[in-house]
Amino acid sequence: MRLIAFGFSLGPILFGIGFLAPLIAALLDAAGLRAPFGVSPLTAGLIVGSLLGLVARQRRTWLW
Amino acid sequence: MVELAAPPSLRAREKAIADRFIGGFPWVMVLWPLVNTTLWLSLWPLVMTGLLPLWAGFLIATVNVTAAYLPSHDAQHHIIVPEGSRWHWFNELIGWYSLIPMFVPLSVLRVTHFEHHRHTNDPALDPDYPMAASTLAGALGKALVKGQPLHERYGETLRRLGTPAAKQAMLHGMVMKVLQYSILAGLAWTGHVWEALLLWWLPLKIGSVYINVYLSWAPHQPMSRRGRYQDTRAFRSMWGNIGSSGMQYHIIHHLYPTIPLSRNPAAFRALRPILEERGCDLGGL
Repeated sequence: MRLIAFGFSLGPILFGIGFLAPLIAALLDAAGLRAPFGVSPLTAGLIVGSLLGLVARQRRTWLW
Repeated sequence: MVELAAPPSLRAREKAIADRFIGGFPWVMVLWPLVNTTLWLSLWPLVMTGLLPLWAGFLIATVNVTAAYLPSHDAQHHIIVPEGSRWHWFNELIGWYSLIPMFVPLSVLRVTHFEHHRHTNDPALDPDYPMAASTLAGALGKALVKGQPLHERYGETLRRLGTPAAKQAMLHGMVMKVLQYSILAGLAWTGHVWEALLLWWLPLKIGSVYINVYLSWAPHQPMSRRGRYQDTRAFRSMWGNIGSSGMQYHIIHHLYPTIPLSRNPAAFRALRPILEERGCDLGGL
C-alpha cells in the first residue's frame, strides 16, 4: 500500500514528463521559438516539465 | 359522537407531497449521457481526421465534460432503476457511461456523495466542505485550490470510511487515474498533444470549476448552516435552471434524494408552502 501511495505521490512529476513535456515542445514549435543552449524542443520540454512537476509535488500545487 | 381525526403533521404532509414526485423512469437522464458521452467520444475521430476544427471540438468538449456529471448523480442515488430490480445493472451502466468524459468512477462519486448527504456542511466530514466560501470569487478560488495535487478530500473520505464499498471505490479511483493519465500521455507523445489538451484536459479543468462552484458551493453557501432544513437553499440563478444544472432547486434533492432531478422544480413548487413554514432559505425563487 505504501508503494502504491508513493507511486501516486509521484503523479505531478509523471504528469510533467508524460504530458507537459510534449506540450511545451509543441508550444515552442507553434510559437517558432528555439530552446536555449541548442537543445531540442522535446528535451527542453522534458527538463521544464519534470522540474515543474517536481516543484508541484513538493509544494502540492501547480499555481503558487 | 363524531371523532375528529388529528390533522397530519407537517412532516407527514411534506412526505405525502414529495412521494408524488418519486418514481417513474427518468428518460432525460438516460438519453442525456447517451447523447453527451457519445458526442464527446465522436469528437476525437472528427477532429483527428480534420472533419471538425479543433477550436469547435474544444467548445463542444467543454460542454460535454461539464454536462457529464448530472446523469451520474441520478444513477448514484439509484433513481434510474432502483436497487433490487433485475434491471439495476442499467442504472449502473448509465452512471458509468455518463462519466466517461470526466473519467471518474461512479463508485467514488456515490460513496463520497452519500457522505456529503450524511454530513452536509460538516467541516470535518463533508467531502465537499473544501468549497466553503462566503463569496463567488472565494468559491472560484476554492475550486482552483481543490484541483491541486492532494487538495481534494474524496480520497481521504474513502480511507476514513474503510468500508468494502469505499475500498472498492478507492481501487476503481486509482485504476481510472492511472488509465486517464496514461491515455493523456500516450496521446501527447504520439503527436496528438493539442487534441489531448483541448478535447480533454482543459475542458476537464473548466468543467470541474463549474461543477464545484454550481453543484457544491452555490446550493450550500456559505456552508455554515447544519440541519435538514438549513444546510441547503434554493436560489435564483442568472443562467436559469438549465444553466445552473438544476441546482436552483437542490434543496428538494437534499430533502428527498430519490426525486429525479427533472422533477425537482415541480416538487419545489408543490412543497413551497411547507418549506416557507419550515423557515428554509428559498433565495427569492
